[in-house]
Amino acid sequence: MAYRFKKQIFGFMDLLRFKKMVKVRREKLSGAPSTPLPKTYKVNETAKILHPGNQSVKLIDIVKDTADTKTYTFELTKKTFFRAGQYAVLRSNVGESLVSRPYAISSSPLTALKEGKVSLTIKKAGFFSDWMFKNAKVGDEFTLGAPFGQFYYEPLKDRKTVVGIAGGSGITPFYSMAQAIKEGSEEFKLILFYGAKTEKDLIFKKELDSLVSDNFKVIYVLSDEKKSGYEEGFITKKIIEKYVTEEFTAMLCGPDAMYAFVDKELEKMNVTGKYLKHEANCIGVRDVKPKKYKLKVNIKDNSYEIEASSDETLLVSMEKAGLKVPSRCRAGGCGYCHSKLISGQFSIAGADKRRLADAKFSYIHPCCSYPDSDMELTVPEG
Amino acid sequence: MEKYDAVVIGAGNGGLVAAIRLLQGGAKVLVVEKHNLPGGFATSFRRGRFEFEASLHELNDFGTKDNSGDVRALFDSLGVTDKIEWLEIPEAYRVISKEEKIDATMPFGVKNFIDKMVSYVPESKDSIEKFFELAKNVHAAQAYTNSVNGVTDQKVMLSEHANFVKVGSYSVNEVLNAIKMPKKAKDILNAYWCYLGAHCDDLSFVHYASMVYRYITKGASMPKMRSHEISLALVERIRELGGDIWFNTEAVKIITSKQDNGVEGVVLNGGREIKTRHVIANCAPHIVYGRMIDKVPEQIIRETNARKLAGRGFTLFLGLNKSADELGIENHNYFLYDTMDTVKQYELMKTIKNNRAQATVCLNRAYPECSPKGTTMMYFTTLFMSDDWGNVTAENYFKTKEEYAKEMIKRFEQDTGSKIMDSIEEISIATPMTYARYCGHPEGDIYGYESQYWDGLTPRLLMMAEDHKTRGLRFAGGYSMRLSGYSSAYFSGDITGRQTVGDIKKEG
Repeated sequence: MAYRFKKQIFGFMDLLRFKKMVKVRREKLSGAPSTPLPKTYKVNETAKILHPGNQSVKLIDIVKDTADTKTYTFELTKKTFFRAGQYAVLRSNVGESLVSRPYAISSSPLTALKEGKVSLTIKKAGFFSDWMFKNAKVGDEFTLGAPFGQFYYEPLKDRKTVVGIAGGSGITPFYSMAQAIKEGSEEFKLILFYGAKTEKDLIFKKELDSLVSDNFKVIYVLSDEKKSGYEEGFITKKIIEKYVTEEFTAMLCGPDAMYAFVDKELEKMNVTGKYLKHEANCIGVRDVKPKKYKLKVNIKDNSYEIEASSDETLLVSMEKAGLKVPSRCRAGGCGYCHSKLISGQFSIAGADKRRLADAKFSYIHPCCSYPDSDMELTVPEG
Repeated sequence: MEKYDAVVIGAGNGGLVAAIRLLQGGAKVLVVEKHNLPGGFATSFRRGRFEFEASLHELNDFGTKDNSGDVRALFDSLGVTDKIEWLEIPEAYRVISKEEKIDATMPFGVKNFIDKMVSYVPESKDSIEKFFELAKNVHAAQAYTNSVNGVTDQKVMLSEHANFVKVGSYSVNEVLNAIKMPKKAKDILNAYWCYLGAHCDDLSFVHYASMVYRYITKGASMPKMRSHEISLALVERIRELGGDIWFNTEAVKIITSKQDNGVEGVVLNGGREIKTRHVIANCAPHIVYGRMIDKVPEQIIRETNARKLAGRGFTLFLGLNKSADELGIENHNYFLYDTMDTVKQYELMKTIKNNRAQATVCLNRAYPECSPKGTTMMYFTTLFMSDDWGNVTAENYFKTKEEYAKEMIKRFEQDTGSKIMDSIEEISIATPMTYARYCGHPEGDIYGYESQYWDGLTPRLLMMAEDHKTRGLRFAGGYSMRLSGYSSAYFSGDITGRQTVGDIKKEG
């Protein structure tokens, strides 16, 4: 015979209890106070500081660091905190285009949190930076994206000593880290090898020298100049071993050619895999003969027919056309520009960093994809 | 102004299913999602050579073609099952409490489960058999209730589903004590409790038994390409059926009518207005009534204030540079508890300092190819039963989360004997702040409203009609009538989508 459940002495009492559930809940719901519901919550407010989203910022200071680099300091309008080593996207209207670029933050995390200021150090190297050098002036308004990226110290993964290897303007995230170590927002030992062509190309030299402590060392390596007090040539195993005796994690920020060279040196020291990380570089133009294609872009309930070029990423084509589209890392990795491919052929620059299901359901990252035919995309609004 | 029959706010599990149901019912539908991806927590992310699952441990109630669960049946009727590649989870769970010397690995299949339980606790045979009989009764009663859309015939309930009605008002522990289950067997059986997030003195037996029954009879499944594959399949289906879905688009206001307080439209970020008389909100009533509607009747404010926010999430994701064999990780799904007393454990889970419970998954044990050869992918999840993360400032945030993650790893190593700390190649840590940012939930809640005794599954379902107080506004997702969890959220979208189709048809 089937089992018959009974808890109370008489089975019907269990039934009565069941019937009362609605009444009990009704009373509970009506019996609560009518105090206004919270508009927000502490955790959600802290989350906003850690992930402030886009904010309008005012340019308050410009310092010329070297012949081809300037540091731009912005006044924030949202409370903001970040990890030293992260980048933020700077966006502005440039003529008919709406252009944005990611730049590593060169100021410290606590400067953002406590003083409401963030600095980006920009090297004159392309369309947007040229425009900044020529046009940006104190008082101008820009849009700044939320700090982002994984190029920071991970205490559970990285060794206590980090060897930083910076090439040229790749110094910026390390300058932020050096300040963070001093102010206490990061706790690790940074030994920084900073490569540049000549002494006058070194950005932040004075500032870096003043930050030297037990937990921060800096070694300058000049490739095109011989000078006492400086290492000479490229950053090699030999130079690293001269200054570093302990085990370390290597963090590299600079041009791809530097990564190719230094990786080989580090491999000789068994610094590979989890002990080696690179900051990704923006995808540039493709070395092909430019060919024009038609690109149809659907954003919400609007469609735009624009021109794309085989040597430029789809993102660049959309920005040039003045479309407000999402962009963040511009290196194919963060996925923020995630867009649906409706039709057409494309090529991805470098490794395919999409999620598996994105490839399956035809989603692409326009920041790292070049058109190989006429195309149609559905893109979220940026 | 653009006009839609219905606007779905939030492309989470509930919202996506609701949108398909609306489209299948002939409605013109717009889904707005503030994030750039669909799925809410049902997503994935890449770090280096790993693609991490963001939240799904295992999908309950899916089953196989030959032993189909309710979620598979739902996905079949939505037209998405075949868009997704599925794999089966090998075993139910391993539960460990060092403190209480419990270490039990439980299989799927009722007979296997009972046999294994009897091998651990020989005197539990009678009670564990009774448990499964009651669980079967509960499942049958729920199937009947669904088949009549919740309008049950009392005579049928009393004659054919008497056990359901009789256990219906009791907590898990009240029923297990009534069937005289030995303590150790209760401890092993209750291991799944953290999936529902209320302790077993509070959690309704009906809710728990039906979940366990579905797991043990239907097994558990995973999409190969993480839950992102399900979310994209659902989006694909929405597009096939002619629905519009806009990402990076936040609904900031619901416009209500002066006459009946009912829905008239939705305001998007940037100020654009969409005209509609029907909204399905795949988000918290606390958010909708707290800041999206200007004039909320007092009764609704009271009712919202009465609800209790459930567990706030914390997940550590690790990509390891050794194989699971090398690391000594044997199982797919671990529950590690400080104590098997769920009431005590629930109390410990209120603070960062005391909470060391974790539900941990090694995906390679279900799907060896989920990460490159010679690597392992793991995720460690816990819940916080109070707003303790609200006390963490931005300045202390990174250190707090890293220290907590370290404790989680240490606990796993201590309890299982495996060694993982030195093999971390990729790491990512999601805290209540992450969940708060990602989906906007209050306090980083990932479990909706808690399944407290008075607000459990049965009373919510019984009061579904009565809870619908604002014309044109219905809720889907973890805060709604089926409570939280993947399958529950999908079912909520099914129910709420079909109800809204009915609402639209009534209006003509």
